Amino acid sequence: MNEQVIEKTSLITLVGPPNSGKTTLFNYLSGQNFKTVNYPGATVEYSICKLLGKFNLNANILDSPGIISLIPNSPDEKVAVESLYCHPQLGIPDIIIVTVDASQISRHLFLVKQLIEANFRVLIALTMTDMLQKKGLHISEKELGRELGCPVVKIDGRTGFGVNELIVQAEQSIEKSQREIIKQPIIFNENIDKQRLIKIYNEIAEIEKKVIHETITPRKIEAANKKLKIFNEPIGKQNRNSIDYTTLRIDRFLLHKVWGLVFFFIIMAVTFTSIFWLAQPIMHFIDESFGYLAKAVHDSIGVPWIGDLLSSGIISGMGSVLVFIPQITILFLILGILEDTGYLARGAMLIDKPLSKIGLNGKSFVPMLSGFACAIPAMLAARTITNKKERYLTIFIIPLMSCSARIPVYALLMAFLFPPEKAWIGGLMLAGVYIFSIVSSVIIAGIINKFSARIIKAQDNSSFILELPSYRVPKLRVVLTNTYYSVKVYLKKAGPIIFFLSIIIWGITYFPNSSPKVDTNNLNKEEIGQLERAERLSGSYASHLGKIIQPVMSPIGMDWRVGVSLISAFAAREVFVSSLALIFKVTGNNASIQSSIVEAMRKAEIGNTGRKLFTPATICGLIIFFMFSLQCISTIAVSRKETGSWRIPILQVIIFTSFGYFMTFITVNGLRAVGIN
Amino acid sequence: MRTAADMEYGERCIISEVDSAHPSSRRILEIGFTPGQEIELINKSIFNDPLAFSLRGTLIAIRRNEAGCIKLA
Ligand SMILES: Nc1nc2c(ncn2[C@@H]2O[C@H](COP(=O)(O)OP(=O)(O)OP(=O)(O)O)[C@@H](O)[C@H]2O)c(=O)[nH]1
Ligand SMILES: [Mg+2]
Repeated sequence: MNEQVIEKTSLITLVGPPNSGKTTLFNYLSGQNFKTVNYPGATVEYSICKLLGKFNLNANILDSPGIISLIPNSPDEKVAVESLYCHPQLGIPDIIIVTVDASQISRHLFLVKQLIEANFRVLIALTMTDMLQKKGLHISEKELGRELGCPVVKIDGRTGFGVNELIVQAEQSIEKSQREIIKQPIIFNENIDKQRLIKIYNEIAEIEKKVIHETITPRKIEAANKKLKIFNEPIGKQNRNSIDYTTLRIDRFLLHKVWGLVFFFIIMAVTFTSIFWLAQPIMHFIDESFGYLAKAVHDSIGVPWIGDLLSSGIISGMGSVLVFIPQITILFLILGILEDTGYLARGAMLIDKPLSKIGLNGKSFVPMLSGFACAIPAMLAARTITNKKERYLTIFIIPLMSCSARIPVYALLMAFLFPPEKAWIGGLMLAGVYIFSIVSSVIIAGIINKFSARIIKAQDNSSFILELPSYRVPKLRVVLTNTYYSVKVYLKKAGPIIFFLSIIIWGITYFPNSSPKVDTNNLNKEEIGQLERAERLSGSYASHLGKIIQPVMSPIGMDWRVGVSLISAFAAREVFVSSLALIFKVTGNNASIQSSIVEAMRKAEIGNTGRKLFTPATICGLIIFFMFSLQCISTIAVSRKETGSWRIPILQVIIFTSFGYFMTFITVNGLRAVGIN
Repeated sequence: MRTAADMEYGERCIISEVDSAHPSSRRILEIGFTPGQEIELINKSIFNDPLAFSLRGTLIAIRRNEAGCIKLA
């Protein structure tokens, strides 16, 4: 028998207060790349992974969302506490590694004490000792271990410092645990004696006095004094439990009643404008490469339908969406920088009061912001919201945030409206689209909140308690790796869908009428090609399907070709762009895919009426449609999972999509009425 | 009796009691607002709500309503 099978795999569970460095340590131990962010509440789901081979310990390691105590207050805390007491597959962990922020032990030891009291076998990983050092303090892990009666190791999960020692300690604790009888952990409930909580804190105060010492060397004082001068810090104010002075200075500005708000809007505006114009040069390059490739493939393959499948179907289809990867990357990059500075918690605080007026919570801010990247992690992030009604309402409006899948669509439509020389107008317009999506989601949230008794059934105590972490200069390496993995995940998710749908749409637009007969009199080769394409499309499966949806499309000024693209966009919104590229067959004449889609769109007419299909009015209508309608199957599935029933996702689909259609109808016909066509 | 919601900018006070009738009182205790502890009001958000306190070396933001259950000495 294989030895590995006999040897039991131990379970090490990582728990700790929010933002104490659990995920950073988990990533180092497992070689994974989960997001680590300077915001309390970054992790909302547990993840399990095998310890890397180099640590020579056969164990699974579990990362959990941050908790403050063993009595959960919100769904993310519940996930963590449940993984401690009764993990469905793995049972009770053999040992628990608690991450404790060394610069905050006066609060973070509370959880440690509770865990020990509940009979868990605890090992402490002291993180952020660098931050403590900056305050001119030192912590003795030996004394701390003695006081608490459990091993303590100083680590830094970012560099790997101390991690080997931590694993050695973990191994010893596991061995010890196998020799002893396992005590059943005690479960705490809401009726816990409050005096008991206060007593724990008093005990911690005693411990803190014994284990924290000042690091007084003349040189350090000199260095510290220098720093004090820079920041004009009043001398003598620095004590053990003072806040990082730089943080206070920055907050005086960023949390200022007026400037704080001004800064908040500047950050948002700069973010969304830069997405558009920063990406332009790289986009051009990618665009032309794909265009060139499609043409080369088309010309070099002898069999017509295979050549067409490869060039129009796969290369143009994929290319038309991949062109927008630079914009998506920039979005992730900016969000990543924001997350790592520590600003997000401030944003949440600034906006708590206004949001609470419409039934949301300051903690809805981070889910809403991450909704700009993708609705799925955003809905999960809403787990940090304590109040059920506020959480459901947040989940409800998240699909209205302009997710990154909509960037390709908007960018294409903007390119139609504004010539490339005026890309900055496009940038401003895109920022406008984002702002509009925020405003409309807020209005819709307000309306739904009014009817909430009927739509969202839940009532609870509404609460906002959030730690504001110290500001940090974002670590470039951390931000770049986070961005890299976000883009990779994006591509992995969207790539296959776009690929398969491109083939399907190519198929239904190419067959059954694959080699149509056309009158070739007095026509050059290019014109024949165009005529053939038009004939083929009008006899295709897609056009049969299109006839059915034509009645729905006519009122909003569009035809079945747009309709087919809109339907295919239900698989993923980006597919709208690749479908347009396929239906209006853009290969061949032009080197760049994007400009040839735009060109083909300009030429397209409604039926044989000679009226243009795409006009500023219909393009604005399409933008509006994409802002509102819920066209993402994965979002629907996650909404179902996070709210526990079909009620909310079904309402979302019906309300948002019909509202989107209605608004498009108003926009298109309204613009036409005022003479814009 | 004064509560943490009545504090001025930069004022430092000692907590005397946390009103256990308030639904958030357990969490407020758990996060470290315990009797005898010194707190300082660092910031108020727009509309003076929420409030950010310096507590045990960390900034913690809580709603004005919740600060109202922290009674001062
Ligand atoms: N200075 C310093 N920063 C650290 C250290 N360990 C982690 N960090 C940073 O602290 C922040 C929070 O780290 P995470 O690993 O996301 O914390 P977490 O405990 O998983 O947080 P939640 O999932 O929100 O509960 C990140 O910005 C890390 O880069 C450390 O030892 N020193
Ligand atoms: Mg985490």
